[in-house]
Amino acid sequence: MTKPNTGELDPQDSAASEIKSYAVGFVASLLLTVGAFAALLADLPTTWKVVLICVAAVLQIVTHLRNFLHLSFAGGESEEDMLLVLFSVSLLAIMAGGTWYIMSDLAGRMH
Amino acid sequence: MSENTLYPGLNLGETHGEAHEQAESIVFGFWVFLMSDLIIFGILFASYASYLDPIGMAGGPGPKDLFDIKSVALQTGFLLFGGIAYAGVSLALKYEQGRAKLIAWLLVCAVLGAGFVVFEVKDFVTQAGKGGIPQASGWLSSYWTLVGLHGFHVCCGILWILTMIVQIATRGVDDTVKVRLSMLGVFWHFLDLIWVGIFSLVFLVPLA
Amino acid sequence: MSGGTSPIFGNLNWNVTPYTDAFQHPDSSTIIGAGAASVLVLGAIAGLALLTYMRWWGPLYRNWLTSPDAKKIGIMYIALALVMLTRGIIEGFVMRAHQATALGTLSAQESGLVAPDHFAELFSTHGTIMIFFVAMPLLIGLINFVMTQQLGARDMAFPVLNQVSLGLTAAGAALVMISLLVGQFGTGGWTMYPPYTGKIFSPGEGVDYWLWAILISGMGSTLTGMNFAVTIFKHRAPGMHLMRMPLFCWTSLCVAIMLIYAMPALTVSSAMLALDRYADFHFFTNASGGNMMNYANIFWMFGHPEVYILILPAFGVFSEISSTFSGKRLYGYTSLVIASMSIAVISFTVWLHHFFTMGQSAGVNIAFGIATMIIGIPTGVKIYDWMATMWRGRVRITAPIVYLTGFFLLFVIGGLSGIILANPSIDYQVHNSTFLVAHFHNVIIPGVLYGMLAGIHYWFPKAFGFRLSETWGRRTALLFVGGFVFTFMPLYVLGLMGMPRRSPTFQNPDFMPWMYLAAFGGVLMMCALASLVWTFWASYRNRVALAVPGGDPWNGSTLEWSTPAPVPEWTFPCIPQVSARHDWGERKRAGDPWKGPAAYTDIEMPANTVHGLLIAIAAFALGFAMVWHIWWLAIISILAIPGIVVIRGLRVIEPRIIPAAEVAEADRRFRRLVENLPPATRADEETERNRGVPDITEFAG
Repeated sequence: MTKPNTGELDPQDSAASEIKSYAVGFVASLLLTVGAFAALLADLPTTWKVVLICVAAVLQIVTHLRNFLHLSFAGGESEEDMLLVLFSVSLLAIMAGGTWYIMSDLAGRMH
Repeated sequence: MSENTLYPGLNLGETHGEAHEQAESIVFGFWVFLMSDLIIFGILFASYASYLDPIGMAGGPGPKDLFDIKSVALQTGFLLFGGIAYAGVSLALKYEQGRAKLIAWLLVCAVLGAGFVVFEVKDFVTQAGKGGIPQASGWLSSYWTLVGLHGFHVCCGILWILTMIVQIATRGVDDTVKVRLSMLGVFWHFLDLIWVGIFSLVFLVPLA
Repeated sequence: MSGGTSPIFGNLNWNVTPYTDAFQHPDSSTIIGAGAASVLVLGAIAGLALLTYMRWWGPLYRNWLTSPDAKKIGIMYIALALVMLTRGIIEGFVMRAHQATALGTLSAQESGLVAPDHFAELFSTHGTIMIFFVAMPLLIGLINFVMTQQLGARDMAFPVLNQVSLGLTAAGAALVMISLLVGQFGTGGWTMYPPYTGKIFSPGEGVDYWLWAILISGMGSTLTGMNFAVTIFKHRAPGMHLMRMPLFCWTSLCVAIMLIYAMPALTVSSAMLALDRYADFHFFTNASGGNMMNYANIFWMFGHPEVYILILPAFGVFSEISSTFSGKRLYGYTSLVIASMSIAVISFTVWLHHFFTMGQSAGVNIAFGIATMIIGIPTGVKIYDWMATMWRGRVRITAPIVYLTGFFLLFVIGGLSGIILANPSIDYQVHNSTFLVAHFHNVIIPGVLYGMLAGIHYWFPKAFGFRLSETWGRRTALLFVGGFVFTFMPLYVLGLMGMPRRSPTFQNPDFMPWMYLAAFGGVLMMCALASLVWTFWASYRNRVALAVPGGDPWNGSTLEWSTPAPVPEWTFPCIPQVSARHDWGERKRAGDPWKGPAAYTDIEMPANTVHGLLIAIAAFALGFAMVWHIWWLAIISILAIPGIVVIRGLRVIEPRIIPAAEVAEADRRFRRLVENLPPATRADEETERNRGVPDITEFAG
């Protein structure tokens, strides 16, 4: 956060906004964690449980990246890191997804 | 968030001059290293999933026999609070709130991390007692390796925190220490991220 | 090994040396084993004696082993690779000699120079060495030496980490080397597939040697990749935009990306196998829910990007030399950049083609088969770009161009046989035959080996101040081309005749003519190796006549040719301000490229440190201790590594400052020298008139 018209850093203002960002992230993570555990204990069909748990996990990971690790598309370094993470995640998706594709196909043919 | 945000968990800001610039390439390098680490975890996750069937369990104990959901919830709590505690370190560093405050927040992180490790080890011991040793089946091998590797990372993080406390105490908060603290921050938050994957996919999904 | 485990020496005892075997059962196989061990021992003794006699211990330690300078680290990587290359080629020759004598009969099936187990060790070490300890150090070394200079950077982003990476690679190489003398290497091929390499079928130390060599050197390569990436992203000279980088830097970036994301897969598969072997885990065992197919899956997730890690730097070298020695600008820069990056990303999507026959359904095979064929497209783009670069250029037939021509002719054949293998139904016919062996040698030798040797020839003057003999360089190149053709073309035929790869023996007399041809090729490869050594020696003896102190012997267009040869440790007296893609070339066009900077400043260089050496020693001790189950040593070394890191972390380390006056003096001396040297024209390039200052009016790149 910069002071209007000066471009100077206002420590107090910035600190407050950062604490707020951490707090939002923390509350969201807490809710998503509780949600995932609640989904497990709830009386739902298995598919629904799995979907809910996975969605909560993805949302929580996004929250961590945004609020704790401060990644964003805002430009500059945080954007560079964001692109790095996205690139890594897409390669990981190829590798982990490929493994799952290959190994489950092999398993399917063994039964 | 502001335009002067350079690095995650760091945000030293332009007032920190040289450390700010130094941080640029060093912390970026550390991010790259963590991405490499992420691939290791990713492959272990995929392997865990591929062993998660009756063949992989080979007649040994399965998730429902071994996993204690309350303990997992407790460990998750420890890590989540430990992660948010690092915000204290980052802010104390950025706004130069003094050595004492830095060390205090670091100690909070270390204690919460240690709490996590204690309950994780307790779980491992209980599981081994029920016959859930890594030598029992392919699935258990992958479970121990994946969760154990994360636990090992947390232990390394705690060790790193302790050496940082020593460094702050002996050499003060110089540029090198600032950069190292920001790397540690990225590492510590990264462990949280991996744990989100672990409690969801390793523990909750098989129990669902 | 026989006998129990001792608390002090682990499984080590006097029976582990090949001499014991040679005494007990003297035959051609054990004598070759003992001979190889003797070469290692005598070589080591000769090396130590030479160092002592010449009083080189001090300079070696001060100027090389403790240096964090990327250029010196690069040279050390290449020296390591050339030593390992010698062993690899000799092993290849022994295998060819063995198969030429391996025709058995139905009653006496085993025949040939070496025993089947020894043959298996040979192909396992040959593959492991050639991939991990020849090709990788060659390309990492070349990138280390060249990339920082081309980017206009002072050094790598993390110079000390770079030193550690070199140390880890060398520790891995040392483990493979010592397996000649102490115990045996594994027999599972360079891929070490379980369950054969599990504890049940391979109980000895062999597989463990491979595992620890790979785990340790793999860690080094991962760290190198990260170092390269950060250097390229953060340490370019001002004005050096990404699209102004020389193509070699682009391919280095691709290599960095692939190292970062592919090496972890190798670490995981090796660590899993190690857990299986040491702690009775069940990742890949047949019993208890293990699945050995997952090993092939994870290993090749690394293995395929690895293929492109090997080949892309060679593509970078060929891009540089095709342009320089044709006196033309590189054709299709942008398309080459796009092609390189596409290869880097697509290489992560094709790994299953290494195990088409493992049993997955046709749909899976087809998906990966198509991806494999797609990756041929960007490679094709590159070949056309280089040919277009040379088209109507004033091509000088220097040694690098001989390599490039050999590469054009042979690599395309190798690529085409790859496209054939990419078709799963054809692969079912020829997989695991020598057709495959011919294919991958056909891409790796003309690709990687020719590329790296061409690069060494091209940049050698920058490192040592004198050119390599062109005559001997061309002879070496032609011998490598001929050696390749005779050794591996017959293997295509043998593969189609049905000969399985890695056969210690066979009973079909029709194979023999082709075997003799291949053995002749092996002789040529040995001659090529000797010629390579002779090139270095002959050029060293003639170094005064070949000296190029002006630093630009080939009339190049990239930044590294703007500095003296040999290049000073600070590379650039002032970090250059880059304003064009071929900045040095543009400065030549503008006239007076050697104008000195207006002012000099103090230069900050990383201080020498013994850090990398200590970590290398600890890593080697760890590997050796784990292989031989010497637990006390393993515990000490595994604690030593973080200990060394933490102790360094606690100290405040000051950089070394080179005063501006010293830089100014050296730089002004260089600039006066350049003014006084007569410019050499293209026609004079190979003569003694080439003192490293080209006639810039001839520059057309």
